[in-house]
Amino acid sequence: MEPFIKVTGVSHVYPNGVTAIQDVNLEIGEGEIVAVLGSNGSGKTTLVKHFNGLLKPTTGQVTVGNMNTKKERIAKLSSLVGYVFQNPNHQTFLPTVRQELYYGCKNLKISEEETEKRVKKAIELFELENLLDANPFDLNSSKRKEIGMASIMAISPKVVVLDEPTTGQDHKGCKRVLELVKMFHEHGHIVVLVTHDMQLIGELNCRVVIMNKSRKIADDRADVVFKNQELLKTADLQPPQVMELANQLTYLNRNESYLTIDSIVKWFKHNKKGLEEERKIGTGS
Amino acid sequence: MNSLYIARESMIHRLDPRTKILFVLFIVISSFLFKDPAMQLILLIGMFPLVLLSKLVKQYLMSMQFLMLFVVLIMTIHGIYNPIGETPVFEIFGGLTFKYESLVYASVMSFRILVIGTAAVIFVMTTHPSDLAIALMKWKVPHSIAFMFLSTFQIIPIIAREAKIVMEAQQARCLDVKANIFERVKHLVPLFAPLFIITFVKVHQLSYVLECRAFSRNGVKTSLRETKISSLDYMFISGMLVLLLTELYLSFAQQISLTTSNLLVSSLFAVWAVFFIVIVKFVYKKVSVFIGG
Ligand SMILES: Nc1ncnc2c1ncn2[C@@H]1O[C@H](COP(=O)(O)OP(=O)(O)OP(=O)(O)O)[C@@H](O)[C@H]1O
Ligand SMILES: [Mg+2]
Repeated sequence: MEPFIKVTGVSHVYPNGVTAIQDVNLEIGEGEIVAVLGSNGSGKTTLVKHFNGLLKPTTGQVTVGNMNTKKERIAKLSSLVGYVFQNPNHQTFLPTVRQELYYGCKNLKISEEETEKRVKKAIELFELENLLDANPFDLNSSKRKEIGMASIMAISPKVVVLDEPTTGQDHKGCKRVLELVKMFHEHGHIVVLVTHDMQLIGELNCRVVIMNKSRKIADDRADVVFKNQELLKTADLQPPQVMELANQLTYLNRNESYLTIDSIVKWFKHNKKGLEEERKIGTGS
Repeated sequence: MNSLYIARESMIHRLDPRTKILFVLFIVISSFLFKDPAMQLILLIGMFPLVLLSKLVKQYLMSMQFLMLFVVLIMTIHGIYNPIGETPVFEIFGGLTFKYESLVYASVMSFRILVIGTAAVIFVMTTHPSDLAIALMKWKVPHSIAFMFLSTFQIIPIIAREAKIVMEAQQARCLDVKANIFERVKHLVPLFAPLFIITFVKVHQLSYVLECRAFSRNGVKTSLRETKISSLDYMFISGMLVLLLTELYLSFAQQISLTTSNLLVSSLFAVWAVFFIVIVKFVYKKVSVFIGG
C-alpha cells in the first residue's frame, strides 16, 4: 500500500538563504507513531511543516494521501494533517472551549451532523464535558495546550503533528501527553511528534527519525537507535536515563532493550526469583 | 538586529543621528518651499548621491517601488480629472486629456512623496535605533519617551514575525486565507485576535524585564553606544544651512519656475515606464515561483 505521507528528495531553503533541510526521504504509513528528534536548529520543525503544506519544498516533492502539497491549499491539507503549534496562544483565541472545538469544522464547511459528530468525539477523547464553557485563557498552561490539541483533533485529521508537546509541562502534563498520543494511535490516527523529551520516546518505543545539520541521519525503532552510541553522539542526543543505566549494568541481558523503568524492574524481579531458585537448589544438594 | 536599519561602513552611517534628523527636516521644509515640479525633481536627484554614499542603492530602490504605486495613481488621475486644469497638454484614448495645471499640481504632490520618502528611507536605513534614542536623549528628551520611540521601532519586526506564525497556525485550523475577498475580511478576527493577545503579553513581559534592570531608576544613564558630533556633521549642517538660505531666496525673491510642459509629459511617461517595469518584475517573480518552484 502507498504510504500516507511520502517525502521524496526534499530540500527547503528559507527566503534568507538558510538551508533548513536537505535531501530528505521519508515515508509514513497508516497507524504509525513517528518521533522526529535532533538538536536545536537541526530542521525538525521545517520538516514537519511540509506535511500540511505550511512550507513547500524548494526541491523534491511531498505527497499527502496522494496529493502533491505544492498544488493544494493549506486549508485543505490541514483537514488531513492536523498541526498542533507549540504555543497554543498562536492557535486558540475564542472565548470558550466549545467555540474552539467547533471553529475548525466551521472553516471546513462540512455538514452540521458531521460537525456535531466530530466535536462530540473530541469532547469524549479529551474528557472536556465540564470545561466546555470555560475560557481557555483561564486554564493552566497544560490544560491550554490540551485545548489546542483538542481544537485540532475536532477537525478529525488523519495525521496529527505535535510540535514539542511536552516542553514546559509538569510531570502530570507529560503523562497526559503520553496517554493522548497512545489514544490517538488507538483511534487510527498517524502521530508525528517533534520532541526533545527522550523519556516520552522511551515510553512509546516508536519509530524515530533523527535529524542532524538539516539531514536525516537515522530512521529506526527507538530501542535500536538508542543503542547506537556513535549515532547518538553525532546527533548530540542523550538516550532516556533508564537506557543509560541499563547500558552501564553490564550484566543485564544484552539482547533486551530497557527503555522504561518497568522493563528494568521486571528484569530484576525475574532474575531475583531465578537467583533465589538457583541458591535453593545449590543449598539443597 | 530586528529593524529597518542596515549596517554598512559609510559616511552617512557615521553621521550623528541628530544631523540626520535635521536633514529630514531640511528636506521636508525644502520640499514645501517649492511649488515647482522641476525643483522637486532637482531635490530628488540631488539626494541620490547620498543614497550612493550610504551604499544602499538596491535597498533604496526596493523601498521606493511601493511609493511608485501612489505616484502613478496621483499623476494619472489628478492629471486628467483635477478641475484646476485648463490648458490641454496631450490626449490619450480619445477624450482623456491631461491638462497643464493639473499635471503641475499632481507632479508636485507625487514628487514630494518621493522626496520626503527618500529622506526618510535614508534616515531609517542608516541610523541604528539605539543611536537614535541616545541622540534624542542628548536633546533632553526624557529617557522613557526616547525608549518608547526606540521600542516601537523594534517591536514592529517582532509583531511581523508573530503575525506570520499566527497566520500559519490559523491555516492549520483550516482557515482558507486564499479564499475570496469577502471571506478574507471575516478572517481578520482569527488573525488579529491572537496577534493582539501575544503582543500584549510580550509588551507586558518587556516592562517586567526593564524593571528588573532598574529602568525607572533616577539619575544619569550611560549607554553602551556613543554618538558624537564630528567635523563631518558640522560640514553637513553648514551645507544644509547654505542650501536652505539659497532656497529661501530662490522661492521668495525670484519666484523661479523651470517647469515646461515637455518636462511634465516626459516625467509622466518616465513614471509610467518605471511602474511598468516594477509590475513586470513582480509578475515575473510570481510566475517563476509558480512554474519553477
Ligand atoms: N522562518 C525562518 N526563516 C529563516 N530561517 C529559519 C526560519 N525558521 C527556521 N529557520 C532556520 O532553519 C534552521 C532549522 O530550523 P528548525 O526550526 O526547523 O529547527 P528545529 O530542529 O525545529 O529546532 P528547535 O529544536 O530549536 O525547534 C535553523 O537554522 C533556523 O535558524
Ligand atoms: Mg522546532
